[in-house]
Amino acid sequence: MRKMNGSQILASSIRWLIGLLICIVVMLPITWVLSISLKPPEEWVAYPPTLVPLKPTFSNYIILFQPGNPVGGIAEMVSSAEPVTRAFINSLIVVPIATAASVLIGFLASYATVRFQAGGATLPLFVLTTRMFPPVAFAVPLLVYFRMLNLIDTQLALILMYTGFTIAFSLWMMRGFIEGVPRHVEEAAILDGASPWRVLLTITLPLVRGGLAATGLFVFILNWTEFLLAQIFTSREALTIPVQVSHYVGAVGRFYGPMAALGIVASIPVVVAGYIIQRYLVTGFTFGLVRE
Amino acid sequence: MADQQNMLIRLERLRKEFNGVIAVEGLDLDVVEGEFLCFLGPSGCGKTTTLRMIAGLETPTAGDVYLRGRRITHLPPQQRNVGFVFQNYALFWHMTVYENLAFGLRVRNVAPADIDHRVKEIAASLELTDVLHERARRLDLSTMQRVAMARTLVTDPEVLLLDEPLNNFRPGLREMMRGELKRWQMHLGRTMIYVTHDQEEAMTLGDRILVMNAGRCAQLDTPRHIYEHPANLFVASFIGRPPMNLIDVRYTVEGEKAFLVRDSLRLDITPLREKIERALAGETQLVLGVRPEHLSPGPFPEEGWVQFSLPAVVDLVQPLARKKFLDLKIGDALIKMVVSGTAPFRQGERFPLGFPLHRIHLFHPTTEEAML
Amino acid sequence: MTEYAPSLARPGVRTVLSRLEQKLSSERVFGTALIAPMQLLLWFLLIIPTLIVVYLSFVRWEPRMGVDWWSAPFAFLGNYARVITDTRFWAAVGRSTGIVIVAVTMEFLIGMGLAFFFSRPLPGKRIMTSAILYPMMLPWVVVGLCFYLLFLDRGPVNYALTQILNRPINVEWFKHPPLAMATIVLADVWQWTPFLFLILYSGLGALPKEPVEAAMTLGASRWQIFRYITLPMLKPVILIALVIRSLEAFKIFDVVFIMTGGGPGTATETISVYIYRVGFVFGQLSYAAAMAVLILILVTMITRVGVRPLE
Repeated sequence: MRKMNGSQILASSIRWLIGLLICIVVMLPITWVLSISLKPPEEWVAYPPTLVPLKPTFSNYIILFQPGNPVGGIAEMVSSAEPVTRAFINSLIVVPIATAASVLIGFLASYATVRFQAGGATLPLFVLTTRMFPPVAFAVPLLVYFRMLNLIDTQLALILMYTGFTIAFSLWMMRGFIEGVPRHVEEAAILDGASPWRVLLTITLPLVRGGLAATGLFVFILNWTEFLLAQIFTSREALTIPVQVSHYVGAVGRFYGPMAALGIVASIPVVVAGYIIQRYLVTGFTFGLVRE
Repeated sequence: MADQQNMLIRLERLRKEFNGVIAVEGLDLDVVEGEFLCFLGPSGCGKTTTLRMIAGLETPTAGDVYLRGRRITHLPPQQRNVGFVFQNYALFWHMTVYENLAFGLRVRNVAPADIDHRVKEIAASLELTDVLHERARRLDLSTMQRVAMARTLVTDPEVLLLDEPLNNFRPGLREMMRGELKRWQMHLGRTMIYVTHDQEEAMTLGDRILVMNAGRCAQLDTPRHIYEHPANLFVASFIGRPPMNLIDVRYTVEGEKAFLVRDSLRLDITPLREKIERALAGETQLVLGVRPEHLSPGPFPEEGWVQFSLPAVVDLVQPLARKKFLDLKIGDALIKMVVSGTAPFRQGERFPLGFPLHRIHLFHPTTEEAML
Repeated sequence: MTEYAPSLARPGVRTVLSRLEQKLSSERVFGTALIAPMQLLLWFLLIIPTLIVVYLSFVRWEPRMGVDWWSAPFAFLGNYARVITDTRFWAAVGRSTGIVIVAVTMEFLIGMGLAFFFSRPLPGKRIMTSAILYPMMLPWVVVGLCFYLLFLDRGPVNYALTQILNRPINVEWFKHPPLAMATIVLADVWQWTPFLFLILYSGLGALPKEPVEAAMTLGASRWQIFRYITLPMLKPVILIALVIRSLEAFKIFDVVFIMTGGGPGTATETISVYIYRVGFVFGQLSYAAAMAVLILILVTMITRVGVRPLE
């Protein structure tokens, strides 16, 4: 990029600076959380607050998993806190399984609706409307169900719900990718004598790998961050990370350090996932509405 | 050369570079007011880029653009008052035809009554009155094209720039629209710069043609001159259908006579001896060019004609309605000839081949420029 | 087939025909098999529960009554009548609506501004646009946590205000209703402006360049181009973005729950929070059901109105 003259260079630099400023403003809140997570207890509510910890420490993170650990001298303060290990394990089990199930079922169903109009032409739209309802409305009867089946506070209940509630996304996201696979490629295989299952698994599936990944990551983010249903349906056994965060925030004792540390740790997987699918996100999120 | 007074646009040593790729280089051009000027060349030769630089949609890397003597090189398009018709028309498809036409005046805050008057006036002259209230996206191609033209005319621009506007038309309709365009231009008296890759189109429409090749000007001249006196090999081979025959030959002298020789094929060009030797300046290799339509079977009149030493053999006959294209083998060279549709040529036939000497074209082998 | 003499019909044709037949019917079977899991889930988790919710809204049932829900006494429209006269309900609706209006408007304006800012060439644009997107990806609860920490007593926001205004400021953000609302709106704006930015930015990028260039040659200034060309062409995209975001913003729960718990008192009680409280804290499930149904109807009607310009 060649700048033609001085005033253009100046204008360009100013714009770059503004851009930088915008990024900093956006980053600021979470940077503050990061900062607290690395601060020792005496700095948690120090006034005036400093952005950079004077004596940075990892003890907050350690405390998360081992509340009794005396490191950093926080132990006495947070003795009432529960280790987050359980929440972690639960999230790490429930979310990947639910995501995989949702993507798989969504892929199969999407294929059927795109290729064969299975279930009628309006099925996809109908599925979409299910996303319009507030989840809290479903929680009531689901509570009844799960009580009857003795599934309250279990991982299975969460997996079922997470799968069911994200299926609309999976269905619709995979749609575009499946439509992108030309029919004649599949038809060639059919005429060669392949059964429909074979076609699906060996021809179509490899071609939509990217779509499966993108959908998977998206659903992963949705499931990982889900709070309401987890809050309602779990308590001590099957609680997930978001619920754990709410416990920390509401707890008496004001242990901001570990609270912040938990927040950071909870965010890392989804930030990574989001970073990976950015390629998919930024290009073409227009739902085909902008006409040429 | 056009005199200073009716020079509308001048391009001086214009140069445009994109990321290290040179699109236009060293271009000088004077556009006469009221003329129909064509930019002609193959894809990627820089003709559209040059047009866009005149409009202000691209900024030159070096060089200048002048409009009526005023330097407008870095002026934004808004301030240049040029009309631009895009290849895909670029209509505002969410607006009606009326709104499209009125746009240029609306953004200049012209009074609605005046806008109305002008829009209706222009619409009438391009037969768009019936569709004035249609949405732009509903129109058919030729109507779109007229709307695109009308839209530029409403603001009374100094010059009209058209970027391959007939590309989207199928052949029959295209010829018809060509005629319409030419008629409008003459009627309106407006300067038009028209970009195309179709040499037939440029030859029929243009008062002058700027032939471009790889970002440079290959020749700037009237169609007739370009046809009769192509300045270089590129122009010679680009203009004309079928293209000019080009044969590598060697110049030799035998006593008084001068010949062009290619293996056993000889052509006696003694009358041109002086001219050629002056232009050659020691070189012996040349490229001989002669157009398919100027070749003729014997017998030949005495004066002014030359004949090849070997007979031509018909390799392939391609009949069209009024003409025939013949692929001939002469010596080891393959050339084409155009004859009347009724001429009875058959494959394998042999006959003596010649052409009028003044139709000869000779090109320097390395500079590729025309000699003579 | 019967028209042709048998000798003309090649033996292969019949096999192809029957294969086709097989394929068609097996296609149907196959298709049904493929959508079966999804149908199962939908019915089990979404459709039947909806029916149950509707049913529940017509009875009077609370789990502590000790009765099974299907034998709870009928209340017909009793619950609905109660909802309609429930001022707390309407207050919650009002709050949710208020949040939607204020937050989404801000998100739209800022997002639009950002989209335009980044649509011109800029070094490091890719990194910057990546960085801007990440608030969307954070778990809602973390966003709540984040802003909770920011607006704490003697926290960074109060400190910054003190520095800027040169007076000691120590606002107790979560104790004053309007301030608490402000923090929630702020949190929502911070988290979701990137979403609006993303959609508008993609939309801008997908717009054809030539009409803009044509407008330039016709003498339109940048502002005029924006107003008459860009904006109208973006209308469908803008509309969808607003509808999606508004629907989600209306249902806001996580952030409120974490930051203020609905308080102080009921000052930040959005509709989702209220339904949650009624259903899962007070245990009045059928009342909650009635509210949910009512909200659903309301939202559907409004969405219809909002989406109509698209057709």
